[in-house]
Amino acid sequence: MRPTESGAERIEHEDLAAKWAIWAGVAFLVLFGVFGVVAAFKFIIPDLFYGFNWLSWPRIRPVHVQGMIFGWLLPVFMGLFYYMVPRLCGTRLWSEKLGIATTLFYSVGVLVMILGVLNPMDSVNPWIMTKGKEYEEWPVLSSIFIFGGWVMLMVNLLQTFARRTYTQMYVALWYIMGMLMWTPFVYLIGNWPSQLIHSAAFMGLNDANTNWFYGHSVVGLVATPGALAVAYYFLPKAANAPLYSHKLSLIGFWSLGSIYIWNGAHHMIYGPIPYWLQTVATIFSFLLFVPVLSAVTNFFGTIRGEWHQLRSNVPLKFIIAATVFYLLVSTQGSFQALRSLNAVTHFTDWVIGHSHMAMFGFVTFYAYAGCYYALPRMYKRPLYSEGMADWHFWLSFVGFILFSTALWIGGFNQGMEWNNPNLPFIATVNDMKPFWHVRAAGGTFMLIGMFLFAFNLYKTSTMPLETTDGDGGLGIEDLSRTPSTLTARV
Amino acid sequence: MLEILIPILFVVLVGTLLAILKQKPEKSAILTGLGILMTFVIGLTFTMLIPSFNENWSQNTAKNPGRYHAIYSTTELAAAEAANRTPATFTGDLATQPNGELVGYTAQQERGRRIYQREGCMYCHSQQIRPLANEIKRYSIGTSVAPIADEREYIWDQPHFLGTRRIGPDLSREGGKYSDDWHYSHFYYPRQMVPGSIMPAFTWLFDDTDKVNPKPKQDARDLVAYVQTLGYGRQVPDGHGGWRPWLKPEDQQYTQSVGEGQVLRIDPRVNGGKGGQVRGGDQPSPTNRVLPGGTL
Repeated sequence: MRPTESGAERIEHEDLAAKWAIWAGVAFLVLFGVFGVVAAFKFIIPDLFYGFNWLSWPRIRPVHVQGMIFGWLLPVFMGLFYYMVPRLCGTRLWSEKLGIATTLFYSVGVLVMILGVLNPMDSVNPWIMTKGKEYEEWPVLSSIFIFGGWVMLMVNLLQTFARRTYTQMYVALWYIMGMLMWTPFVYLIGNWPSQLIHSAAFMGLNDANTNWFYGHSVVGLVATPGALAVAYYFLPKAANAPLYSHKLSLIGFWSLGSIYIWNGAHHMIYGPIPYWLQTVATIFSFLLFVPVLSAVTNFFGTIRGEWHQLRSNVPLKFIIAATVFYLLVSTQGSFQALRSLNAVTHFTDWVIGHSHMAMFGFVTFYAYAGCYYALPRMYKRPLYSEGMADWHFWLSFVGFILFSTALWIGGFNQGMEWNNPNLPFIATVNDMKPFWHVRAAGGTFMLIGMFLFAFNLYKTSTMPLETTDGDGGLGIEDLSRTPSTLTARV
Repeated sequence: MLEILIPILFVVLVGTLLAILKQKPEKSAILTGLGILMTFVIGLTFTMLIPSFNENWSQNTAKNPGRYHAIYSTTELAAAEAANRTPATFTGDLATQPNGELVGYTAQQERGRRIYQREGCMYCHSQQIRPLANEIKRYSIGTSVAPIADEREYIWDQPHFLGTRRIGPDLSREGGKYSDDWHYSHFYYPRQMVPGSIMPAFTWLFDDTDKVNPKPKQDARDLVAYVQTLGYGRQVPDGHGGWRPWLKPEDQQYTQSVGEGQVLRIDPRVNGGKGGQVRGGDQPSPTNRVLPGGTL
């Protein structure tokens, strides 16, 4: 439907909630980026911060991983959703105050997590210590804040959604709804039975299976739909081109919902779990080509004929790079689930390169693009420096390529070396060291990019208004573009 | 207290969804929501609920769990603690023991698991031997062939420490390989035992006012008590219809003497003065590790 009523389009969006959430996310991005780089340098200088219990590598690592997913990605998605949902629904956000409260409440959870996992007090109290499983480290106390914050977000966005004036649901809204509904269920299942009930039914491999059901769902049902929602909204916006196909995006949505959830066991291939469960995970890993190819085809179809914009349009650069990484990371993930390849790459640094392509190259790049597009429009000012944003892109891109390529080559090499049982383990560690140097350099590039990103956004928000019409010459929420995303070429 | 927390959160979640439904959104929105939930529940059923009925995944149904992990009865643990002796493992008929009477770890080992969890050992050390020929060879010792991971080894673990990364070697067959003193000295400064190691120095687990001979704190003692259980209760068929521990006595003696040699070579003056021999007792004891019930 083409919204013709100009009344619906002239809504003044306050965007207060969106700004708060995005600033929280950007602050956490820089903070947890520093943690990541410190962790990378500890591979080179193991005695870095010698004697500091709360800066030992195994405590920094989960803070970096959890912080990047739940501290940076989820808040920034919240912020972008606060921006997208009212505009796609043709109504105001239900409650800006609730939105601000959500960010504050949620951020308390992130801070409690940092304290609990770094654990300078060496506590073994289950309320505040790490839960000790990958992606589930959040201490129980901080889980309450994370979960509560998410429910507050759900209330706010679903109430906004229920008051919408546009009858057609643009595909980004489907993904947002999916992420809103999946996240709390995934979070509860991952953080409840296996974590808190010390009963025979939830111990051992049930615990491991729950861990990886949850771990893969955090990637597939939380981060991916969030990233795709952002991409489906900001790609047509940034390129000023209509979405290629709505049908394709719906195929992508429903296959994503029904396939991702089956993949948890591919993290334990050749592990002590039943053979059939591993095989099912492998099969569904290959079925993932359906949602991935439908999204990627859609995005490349949308950009068709607009490639020349890549030269100057920074959000578009991030979106296209992220789309390529999405295709690559999923292809890589599917093939890693094959037993023959998994036997070599599992347990090596290959996996670390893979997971950074997902969380950084794919998801974070979409979030960067969304921020570069949305934040200037929230503040009704042009971006402070396009050149700095370009530097941010190239530092992130080159840094990431260095980082991951080093880990893929080094990790595969180490996996092959393990096949020679006469080679001592420490010899294979020593062979990784040159690659760890390159990885630290790449990570530093990525971190410098993050600082440029934060600085650029900060200067944008504080820049004095130069134009008299009060919107920095951007037009109030670019009226001409809103309808174009609601139609499709085919 | 912890257990009731999440049901409360679950009620909050469902209540929120119902409250939003009271806004009477149109049919397509409700159908979308139901579809999202349905795909989720189907995946959950097949990948989590059905596997959870696997008999060897639970203490209640596992066959011969005593062959794969040490088991203690709680009465024996209490008696042993009162008499200050090492508890004997449970070898009787499982069916005669009511639920909750049997445990896989002593109180000290369970505390050691908490330290292992807090210090994040599982981020660098997996606890599973995959059924791959070269991997089995790598973790075998002498003529003792490292058995591959079995489901029943894990039934006492909460949380699980299967791991996904081997920055350091797998630990599931580590128990009994080295003496406690080797582990203390290694935890205190790993690079003095294994040149080139990048493992953190866990100095806060030790009282190192005496820089040359630091003493392990209770945390270190608990942690090592747990590490020494890893794979130690795992038995393999002995070829005569019976079962024996996977690690043969002569192979254990060999690795322990190698480990003791490493401890003896420690010179606290190298490594920038960071190292030092850490002994748990007063006497150097190359084979000071005999686990309860161990026949080695």
